[in-house]
Amino acid sequence: MAVCIAVIAKENYPLYIRSTPTENELKFHYMVHTSLDVVDEKISAMGKALVDQRELYLGLLYPTEDYKVYGYVTNSKVKFVMVVDSSNTALRDNEIRSMFRKLHNSYTDVMCNPFYNPGDRIQSRAFDNMVTSMMIQVC
Amino acid sequence: MGENKDLFVLTYGALVAQLCKDYEKDEDVNKYLDKMGYGIGTRLVEDFLARSCVRRCHSYSEIIDIIAQVAFKMYLGITPSVVCHNSSRNEFSLILDKNPLAEFVEELPAGRSALCYCNLLCGVIRGALEMVHLATDVTFLQDRLKGDRVTEIGITFLKKLDEKKYKRKK
Repeated sequence: MAVCIAVIAKENYPLYIRSTPTENELKFHYMVHTSLDVVDEKISAMGKALVDQRELYLGLLYPTEDYKVYGYVTNSKVKFVMVVDSSNTALRDNEIRSMFRKLHNSYTDVMCNPFYNPGDRIQSRAFDNMVTSMMIQVC
Repeated sequence: MGENKDLFVLTYGALVAQLCKDYEKDEDVNKYLDKMGYGIGTRLVEDFLARSCVRRCHSYSEIIDIIAQVAFKMYLGITPSVVCHNSSRNEFSLILDKNPLAEFVEELPAGRSALCYCNLLCGVIRGALEMVHLATDVTFLQDRLKGDRVTEIGITFLKKLDEKKYKRKK
C-alpha cells in the first residue's frame, strides 16, 4: 500500500500530493522532490524509444531503507510518484503498474472536467477517493 | 449512441466553461444556454421526425413518452423515466439518473451554484415542441450537480399555439 502519492506537472510543481497522515508530511514532500531528478534522468535516457505502456512506467526510482519510490510519466510529461513502505514485500511490480494505470485514468477524468484548468491543483473528490483507496489497500 | 461520445461531452463542457467566463451571472449563462438549445431544437426536430417515423400522437403523455424513449435514446443514449404531475395531464417530469452531458463534471464550481449546467437540453425540448405547435415551459426541477439525488426536467404544456390540426409530434 502506498504511503504517499504525488502528481507533478510538466514544470515540476506538484498538482496533487497526499501522504498518510501519521507520518511527517514534509519528509515525503522532500522524497518526492528528490525523486524528480531520477525521473528526469530516466526520461532523457529513454530518448527516441517507442513510447508505450511499458515505457510510461519508470519502475523503482530509488530505494531508501524504509521506503521505495516508484515513478510513472505520461506523454504530456505529467509525472506520478508513489512512495511505498519497504516492509511491504507483498507488492509486486505488476501491482504497482496497475496502481499507476488507475491513477492515470483518474487523472484523465479530472482533465475532462470543463471547469478544471490544466495546471491547477487537483481538487476532485473522485480523485481523492481513488487515492484513499490506494493508501488503505493494494488494488 | 454506440460511438465514443467523449468529444461531444467535452465540447459541451467547453461551451459552458466559456459562457461562464463571458458572463458573471448564473442567470445569464442559463439564459444563453436555453437560447442556444432553442435554436438546436427547432432544427433537430426535423432530423428526429425524419429518422424516427413516430406515429401521430393523441395526448401529451404520448408525446412525453416519445421524447423519453425515442428522442433521448437516439441523441443521448439514455432513457429517462416519465412522471406525470397532475390530473389534467399537462405537467410532466423526465427523471434522468445518469446524465451523459455532465459525465466529467463532479460539482459546480464555486460561485456558480445557480448554474443549470444542462440548460441547453431545456431549450432543445422547448424549441422542438414549438416547431410542432406546442408551447411548453421546460426547466430543471432537480439537478444532480446541485446535490439532488437525480436530475429532473419538468415539462409543462401550455395552451397550444396552433389549434387547427394535429401534426406529427415529437
